[in-house]
Amino acid sequence: MSKDKEILDSIADKEYEHGFVTDVEQEFIPKGLNEDIIRMISAKKDEPEWMLEFRLDAFRRWQKMTLPTWAHLDIPEIDFQDIIYYAAPKKDEDRPKEIDPELEKTFDKLGIPLHERAALAGVAVDAVFDSVSVTTTFRAALAEKGILFCSFSEAVREHPDLVRRYLASVVPVGDNFYAALNSAVFSDGSFVYIPKGVRCPMELSSYFRINAAGTGQFERTLIVADEGSYVSYMEGCTAPMRDENQLHAAVVEIIVEKDAEVKYSTVQNWYPGDSEGRGGIFNFVTKRGICKGSGSHLSWTQVETGSAITWKYPSTILKGDNSSSEFYSVAVTNNFQQADTGTKMIHIGRNTRSRIVSKGISAGRSQNSYRGLVKMLPGADNARNFSQCDSLLIGSQCGAHTFPYIENANKTAVVEHEATTSKISEDQLFYCNQRGIGPEEAVGLIVNGYAREVLSKLPMEFAVEAQKLLQVSLEGSVG
Amino acid sequence: MINGRQQTIVVEKGANVNIIIIVFPGVSCDVKLDVRLAGEGAEANIYGAYVCGGAERVKISVDMCHNVHHCNSRQLFKGIAGGESRVDFYGKIIVAKDAQKTEAYQENHNLLLSEKAKVDTKPQLEIYADDVKCSHGATIGRLNEEEQFYMRSRGITLEDAKVLQMISFISPVLENITAETERVAVAAEFESHIRNIIRNI
Repeated sequence: MSKDKEILDSIADKEYEHGFVTDVEQEFIPKGLNEDIIRMISAKKDEPEWMLEFRLDAFRRWQKMTLPTWAHLDIPEIDFQDIIYYAAPKKDEDRPKEIDPELEKTFDKLGIPLHERAALAGVAVDAVFDSVSVTTTFRAALAEKGILFCSFSEAVREHPDLVRRYLASVVPVGDNFYAALNSAVFSDGSFVYIPKGVRCPMELSSYFRINAAGTGQFERTLIVADEGSYVSYMEGCTAPMRDENQLHAAVVEIIVEKDAEVKYSTVQNWYPGDSEGRGGIFNFVTKRGICKGSGSHLSWTQVETGSAITWKYPSTILKGDNSSSEFYSVAVTNNFQQADTGTKMIHIGRNTRSRIVSKGISAGRSQNSYRGLVKMLPGADNARNFSQCDSLLIGSQCGAHTFPYIENANKTAVVEHEATTSKISEDQLFYCNQRGIGPEEAVGLIVNGYAREVLSKLPMEFAVEAQKLLQVSLEGSVG
Repeated sequence: MINGRQQTIVVEKGANVNIIIIVFPGVSCDVKLDVRLAGEGAEANIYGAYVCGGAERVKISVDMCHNVHHCNSRQLFKGIAGGESRVDFYGKIIVAKDAQKTEAYQENHNLLLSEKAKVDTKPQLEIYADDVKCSHGATIGRLNEEEQFYMRSRGITLEDAKVLQMISFISPVLENITAETERVAVAAEFESHIRNIIRNI
């Protein structure tokens, strides 16, 4: 009996293993949002005048905007005045150069060692804790090749020309409600610049951690791949377990120049709320890239298992002739989670190609939607798109939805879309059970097989973690 | 069919409804169907074919609601857009909670013939039950050139090859017209229209 309990306890604990809180001294700014708060954030970060102007302009526009309501989501009212927009761990005055050991321990626990010797070989990390970047590893090694990889605030100070040239060039300030909010209050994020013809020798990665209560995280990431360059960038995120909902509204912009290639992978594991639907992160993110030059390539891969509510549509504008883009996604929702996620492929240039593979898995009482747009503009001669969106339902209380929008205004462009919805077949389960594989394990196995096409696109370091994550996310959803 | 007004069709237990929508060139229309499968074992089959060669505006929207369990639906819409025409297709399959053992399929395929024609399609699935088999497929494309080459290498002119391709493209819809005389008449009418469109390109 006690052994049973132990096993049950261990499963319950396993629910969300990154749910701990780090006890560090933090500095906050007052709750609320107004021009003074924005000036305060800007001052904290020592920003130049143009950056402050950019923020204030965004804030003024945001005030006139209304919340988007078109998504298939039930979002409780958010009080934007009840959020702390900036929280940072206090720096120890004695050792300004060192990372707080407590923070280091936190990231260690999350599997992200910040010491270069202990770090995963071949992965450079930018670690963001609440509103600030704590450290960026392997910077020297990357600088030798002329690669810039640093926190966004640093880029504003040290490479203002590059930042000014590209900031808001893909996601304009007034693009949407959350992008405008982010433009006004964004705190930290990563900046990547790969110079002409350089192949980035290691995976670049950002790890976002929300720690402080009552705060929101508003990171901003800008990736620029100059002509003929290549970079693979990964993003991971976690947050403590709390009964309150915390807002995460990020903006990611990617610029891919002629013949360059960017691979962007996300494993999103924000706290999803408990089994009663209490708490969890609201993940309202705008991600967009532009294939600017001819022959450029942008590939998105995402594994979405966390967040109470996800609102996220990584998109590509295929402007350069012969450019191509891919979107691979696995979105898992369980309990009371809601996800409305997908992609947009805007074909402008000739011979542009895109491919969308989306796998949704819903369990518990969750709602999981795919929403996507494929648009062929009149100039997109011989453009080609193929989309496949599959949904898997586990349990009779959940929902799976597919909302593709397909627009074609070019007679030589070809668009294909297919979608299916079904449940795990009894036959498959029976087959596993009969060979001694328990129901939960069998579901895990089948789900992993179902998501394999997407998981295989992830960098190796991420693929292993993502597979485990799928299993954990679905725990307790069978029977 | 009254333009722009929503037509509601309720299919009760064990009943079966077949609807075929035919839109000839020169006709602009706005068809809104709201089909509700309200009784166990109800079945609905909806087919549509449209061919546009001028400045037509064809709008078709279908809401297929599976309100109860053990119902089947199938939708097949095929169309050709030439000239300066504009086609909007919207089709939603809604499977209500507890509408288990549902089978619902929908397909929408389009051919774009000219630079100025435009096709938008929005197939949607909204599913709240798990023991279901649902799928939709949508394509917007052009006439296959390999098929044309095959036919031309056998002495069929390019014009005839295109006519054949287009007729065979919409024929899966026409096959569902059960009355033979009507089926033949509709097919013949489509053929003469298609020949006209091809000649004008």
